[in-house]
Amino acid sequence: MIKIENLHASIDGKEILKGLNLEVKAGEIHAIMGPNGAGKSTLASVLAGREDYEVTAGSIDFDGTDLLELSTEDRAREGLFLAFQYPVEIPGVSNINFLRTALNEIREYKGQAQISAKEFMAMVREKSAIVELDSKLASRAVNEGFSGGEKKRNEIFQMAMLEPKLAVLDETDSGLDIDALRIVANGVNTLKSDQNATIVITHYQRLLDYIIPDFVHVLYDGRIVMTGTKELALELEEKGYDWIKESIDA
Amino acid sequence: MENSNKLSQFTSLFPSTEIDGLSAMANSARVFLSENDFPTTRLERFKYTRLTKLSNVQFDTSAAEFISDFHKYQICPDAIAIFVVNGHVFLPETKGPTGLIIDDISFAKSLPSSSMKDVFAAMNVLHAQSGVCVQVAKNSVIDSVIEIVHVCTGSYAGFTRNHITIGENAQAKVVMTYVSEQTNECFSHVHTSIEVGKRAHFNLEKVQMESSDLFSFSDEEVWQGADSVFQINTLTLDGNLVRNDLHIQVRGEHAETHLNGMYMLNGQQHVANYTTVDHQVANCESNELYKGIMDDKSIAVFNGKVFVRQDAQKTNAFQSNANVLISDDASVNSKPELEIYADDVKCSHGSTTGQLDDEALFYLRARGISERGATQLLLTAFMSDVLDKITVPSVKEKVFEVINKRFNWELTL
Ligand SMILES: Nc1ncnc2c1ncn2[C@@H]1O[C@H](COP(=O)(O)OP(=O)(O)O)[C@@H](O)[C@H]1O
Ligand SMILES: [Mg+2]
Repeated sequence: MIKIENLHASIDGKEILKGLNLEVKAGEIHAIMGPNGAGKSTLASVLAGREDYEVTAGSIDFDGTDLLELSTEDRAREGLFLAFQYPVEIPGVSNINFLRTALNEIREYKGQAQISAKEFMAMVREKSAIVELDSKLASRAVNEGFSGGEKKRNEIFQMAMLEPKLAVLDETDSGLDIDALRIVANGVNTLKSDQNATIVITHYQRLLDYIIPDFVHVLYDGRIVMTGTKELALELEEKGYDWIKESIDA
Repeated sequence: MENSNKLSQFTSLFPSTEIDGLSAMANSARVFLSENDFPTTRLERFKYTRLTKLSNVQFDTSAAEFISDFHKYQICPDAIAIFVVNGHVFLPETKGPTGLIIDDISFAKSLPSSSMKDVFAAMNVLHAQSGVCVQVAKNSVIDSVIEIVHVCTGSYAGFTRNHITIGENAQAKVVMTYVSEQTNECFSHVHTSIEVGKRAHFNLEKVQMESSDLFSFSDEEVWQGADSVFQINTLTLDGNLVRNDLHIQVRGEHAETHLNGMYMLNGQQHVANYTTVDHQVANCESNELYKGIMDDKSIAVFNGKVFVRQDAQKTNAFQSNANVLISDDASVNSKPELEIYADDVKCSHGSTTGQLDDEALFYLRARGISERGATQLLLTAFMSDVLDKITVPSVKEKVFEVINKRFNWELTL
């Protein structure tokens, strides 16, 4: 699905990712954990094509295409989805209107016909139910006046609507109470298939009780420094990151 | 000295007015012209507007070529339409509903005296060639839209004067459409005086879509009575040098005033909006919202004055001007001014100018929307509160049609 090799990326001349390697196959869920400032969101931003970041070395192969050559919108159209750590409020742009535009642009890119209004509304109903998002929220302006939990659910709702091949969830669990966490995790699990893959970025083990990862990676100082299974997450929860820092920095 | 020459040269282009209703003002207009020069940027009101080019243009004031297919410029298909084509008035052929009188302004016996804000306002008094007089009688509700279409062609230059009276407890909607055809440097100055009677409701949509070689000046002078509601939407969609001067005197208590504006500029366009809301009495409310989108090397000027006189206690006055620059070369001069002499009032104003929100653009693109599509979604969102104020659906449709064509966009209603 995606193969990241020796990825180096910097912002404002400061190197954040320093030779990152990661491979995710279809049907897998990977968790990326790591202390604050390790570069987790940077990785998500670079994958999505945020122009503030400069990729200075390395490659990203996304299902046979060179991801780094694509614009942000083409990455999305190829099936990459980023659930933002901080979803943006966009006053005046309705959630529904924007999603229909997105869906249709993606369809056009793939040479498919536009979605009918009826089909679209049926889809909105079905998908908003998955994350128990009030249908009123679906028709409001994008994230405007949404609570923290509603914003995160709205991200997963959008993911459900766009049916990506690879979803990158950046701290989707932060700020969620246990009920919201369950709802979001349930959404992710419902959408999972052997055709798609998920990268879950988190720094709490808690989420991984609900979304069971196949692999857990530790991102530290711009690189993946350790890879294990879900037991690694429990170990990190217990011991914190200091022992990793010590063993790496030593 | 050089300027006085410029001024007398410019005024000499225009024949004297034959509108009787203006004669009472003629003297003060003459005095004003003798005491003032052709405006330069040293004058506060023209600080950002260079008129050198205007004073050098060779206008053909002997009423330019006549066109006959001007009916196509009417925006509202069901409107009672009046056309003013190069200063010639074409009244509706059929008789309107009871309570509505539409006439050539030449027949108006007296017109309210206007303030001489600048030399052009004074020239209008002395040189207005024609115009329209719309009167809505007391208690009449006019359901049809009344549309006044101003058309300029060739190298026309001239002054037009309109007057609108909305009687007590009456209701009406007017659309003023400004267009041009095959122009070769035109100059048009339109003054419209508007009396909104007690408890009357009046809505004015001003739609400006003249071509890019036209000097288009237009003033509205409004008097509002008690309990009246007045709204004007100034929608500037095209033009070369466009100056709008709106002056509203709120003279009766519990009146409501809404003044909204939208300007979408590109190329080298220059659009200036000068507005004044003069709260003279207590318990009134005014809301002002002007928004602009500026591309290329366009320039916008916004100057909004709100006066709250000593007697105007309990005034609520809000004013806001917001601009989005979509090119690095566009610029905005925005100057809100509040002058408050009463102590128990609620007034606020704000002015913002900036680029589109990068974070929002990225968010939309990360969902598969092209940069162009994302830009348009954000621009439509930015404009939506002003667009929502438009009360005539065919005007709204026209606005989208014109914008989409001019900017090669695909904005949707
Ligand atoms: N614009 C910027 N200029 C310089 N450094 C930045 C900028 N944005 C983020 N950083 C730095 O990049 C590092 C990684 O940040 P981030 O990827 O957000 O970490 P994480 O998501 O793992 O907490 C941090 O040290 C942060 O301070
Ligand atoms: Mg982060």
